[in-house]
Amino acid sequence: MVEPRSPIDDALRAAGGSIGEHAGATVVIDYGDPDEEAEAARGLGLADLSPLPRVGFRGPGAREWLTAWGVDLPDEPNRACIQPDGAIAVTRSWTEVLVLGSTQSADSLCARLEAGTSDAHRARAYSLPRFDGLFWFALTGASAADCLAKICGVDMRETAFSSGSVAQTSLARLNAVIVRVDAGATPLFHLLGDSASAEYAWASLLDAMQEFDGRPVGLRALHALAREFK
Amino acid sequence: MKVMPCPLNGPRPIQEFTCGGEVVAPPDPDHADAEAWADYLFLHDNAAGVVREWWYHVPTSFWFIADRDTVTDEIVRTFLPRELFGPDAQPDRP
Repeated sequence: MVEPRSPIDDALRAAGGSIGEHAGATVVIDYGDPDEEAEAARGLGLADLSPLPRVGFRGPGAREWLTAWGVDLPDEPNRACIQPDGAIAVTRSWTEVLVLGSTQSADSLCARLEAGTSDAHRARAYSLPRFDGLFWFALTGASAADCLAKICGVDMRETAFSSGSVAQTSLARLNAVIVRVDAGATPLFHLLGDSASAEYAWASLLDAMQEFDGRPVGLRALHALAREFK
Repeated sequence: MKVMPCPLNGPRPIQEFTCGGEVVAPPDPDHADAEAWADYLFLHDNAAGVVREWWYHVPTSFWFIADRDTVTDEIVRTFLPRELFGPDAQPDRP
């Protein structure tokens, strides 16, 4: 079987990305300079997480069905809730949830939920495959909110958009879901949008990051961030 | 920048929205004649003052209703369609 690739695989390889395996997914582990990338992740770094699992559910019974599977859900739309294994449950409306697999450990939640979808429709919950349709980037670091301010109309600063906040809005004129789940004191934004526009989004973000000396970082840099606050 | 208060997403730039036209009741499908359907589909009041319109938040594919003053372009109020059409019209919303 061919390993699923990121929609920006070519750009990642051209940038010197060292592709490796993390929990069954092929992702960029680093760009050859882990120490500098770990530093950038605290200042401004952009990681591609597109090969990691994610799945969505919608329907009048979606919340109840997910709760029965042990998923902790926020009460309100546009909020995010971290699961025990590091996965993130995002409420996109009153009846739609997006689950992002853990970036830290082998995914168990998305795989479990996807395996259980065959009877979900009886509970009026309908699965939405999100792996192929959405790119998934992580923008991290102290300058992340200032950088997003250049390409997004929503105030992403801590005072207006704290950890756990979600905005479904326009990002560089693309429809996108922005999920803020800080790594300790370091701001971290998960960005998801139409995978057909992934190359454009990646290039736009890198362009916007230039004035803050931002750079692409590998998954190893995100793991280093996570270890710092544990 | 003009800001629209979306009932699902909160305040957002107006560029994220599309107007879906006036909220008007459809004619009775059993008795309406062609003229009534043409009026419903193609003719608009285009009133000066506060009008009631469908609006759509594109990033979330979310429809809602807004009261908007067409003279001042002020958005008076936005709300969920179930407020007009009852909970049966949107059984999955709180």
